[in-house]
Amino acid sequence: MRPASQTRAVGIAIVGVSLLFAAIRFLQMQIDAKTRTVEQQKEELLLRSPSAVKRMSLGYNALLADIYWTRAVQYYGNRVGTPDATFELLWPLLDIATTLDPKLVIAYRFGAIFLSEPGPAGAGRSDLAIELVKRGIAENPDQWNLNSDLGFLYYWRLQDFQSSAAAYLEGSKNPKAPSWLKMMAARVAEKGGSLETSAMIWSELRNSTQDPIVRERATQMLRGLKAQEDEMHLDDLADQYKKRSAHYPASTGELRDAGLINGIPVDPDGYPYVFGPDGKSRLNPQSTIVIPKELRTPLSPSN
Amino acid sequence: MSATTAPVAINTFREAVRDRVLYNLIFFALMMIGAAIIVGQISIGIERLVIINLGLSAISIFGLVMAVFIGVGLVSKEIEKRTLYSLLAKPIRRWEFLVGKYAGLLLTLVVNTSFMTIALAAALFYVGRPFVRSDSSILVAIYFILLELALVTALALFFSCFSSPTLSTLFTLGIYITGVFASDMRDVGELTGNPSLNAVTRVIYYLVPNFHNFNAIAAAGHGESIPLSLVGQNTLYAVLYVTLLLLAASAVFSKRNLK
Repeated sequence: MRPASQTRAVGIAIVGVSLLFAAIRFLQMQIDAKTRTVEQQKEELLLRSPSAVKRMSLGYNALLADIYWTRAVQYYGNRVGTPDATFELLWPLLDIATTLDPKLVIAYRFGAIFLSEPGPAGAGRSDLAIELVKRGIAENPDQWNLNSDLGFLYYWRLQDFQSSAAAYLEGSKNPKAPSWLKMMAARVAEKGGSLETSAMIWSELRNSTQDPIVRERATQMLRGLKAQEDEMHLDDLADQYKKRSAHYPASTGELRDAGLINGIPVDPDGYPYVFGPDGKSRLNPQSTIVIPKELRTPLSPSN
Repeated sequence: MSATTAPVAINTFREAVRDRVLYNLIFFALMMIGAAIIVGQISIGIERLVIINLGLSAISIFGLVMAVFIGVGLVSKEIEKRTLYSLLAKPIRRWEFLVGKYAGLLLTLVVNTSFMTIALAAALFYVGRPFVRSDSSILVAIYFILLELALVTALALFFSCFSSPTLSTLFTLGIYITGVFASDMRDVGELTGNPSLNAVTRVIYYLVPNFHNFNAIAAAGHGESIPLSLVGQNTLYAVLYVTLLLLAASAVFSKRNLK
């Protein structure tokens, strides 16, 4: 073949191959669009029996546990924050991961968070979260962190202060456990449900965790607790104001003018609180502080 | 090793190197690098654990594939190429030839595993955690894998003495899988409550090599210490089994008609 025709052939080949790949890409996109529902169905777990998966792992159960844990993280990550998201495969994935490697402490700890967080931040299954952590404690009795997590779940999710105190106390028996665990047990038993105790729990969680996501979450909760404490205080002052003036204050400025407070109180975001027509204080609409539902009901400032 | 078996072992090792068997190390290194970079981004808190579990599992799987597929060809290849006849014409006994072949493949596996261990250490170093005392359990887990490979190699060599490579592969893998499930089989026998079945499953349990003994990957991943007594017991277990298999292989091979 002559050089000119050879160059031409190479050129045609390059163009031809490029066109073929373009056509393949187009076709693949078409197929993807049609099979998206099939892909969604693929999320079904073929094997739900942890013991069967363990047997089939042929001894490579530790590696398989890592894979299942990663799948659980991905599964949770793909759904968290999505309205109406369901987490039905979260428990089976965590169940398999922890059966394959019962020492995978991270799966118990984070798995419990994923399971217990109310929707859309989690599966809202505190019962399964507690079961998971209990199983983790049974398999890893030297891990006081798991007792602390159990105490947290009982306290925060179920408001079962007696079980919470018992879990903290059990963890404090571990020689490696920090001294605050024993203090926490006593505190929860004595003043479970108080804002102060709740703040202490979240504060210890923030200080003890090494994970930035959990630390951020704890910081948010502490800010929410501070805001709620402020609101309760302002509500009391608003009642006092009403006794004097026969109407509720329209703003915190009126409380200051009446001499009930010295300055204008602001939330942890720096925004002043506002009052509703019912005399109840609220967060400023511009504030990013969120007071979760758990903080609204059972807590009191000096229980 | 005697003066007659050493050359056979060295030549077996050289042949494996010539056959580019150690190329799997490149794949292993790439896999370790990839895992070290990717896992931290797609999972939570198990970056180091995955490196250890993946590294040790890969060392075990790569080693097993090599032990089985090279092991079953150790004798048949020599017969096929007709090099065995010229070799046996020299002052070397059949059992010495077998032991040399076995030692050569074992040397290949040790070298391969050593390089993979270095790659694993490099990956662990990359994920940024200083080595601590408990990491010694990783080395123990690797030693256990080597014991497992020594046993599988002996099995493959034994079957290759009287069977074709295909059948030898099936037999070796069959015994390996049975060995992995040995304790499950024993438990099933106990669960049935049938004395005869229980006796059979117990015999199988003690007869087949129990490969579960050599699995310390999970313990190494969590930095759990492995008792020295277990190291000794596993070593003795492997030595006894390998001796038994090499004796059986020698007996079979010595009586085999090579004409």
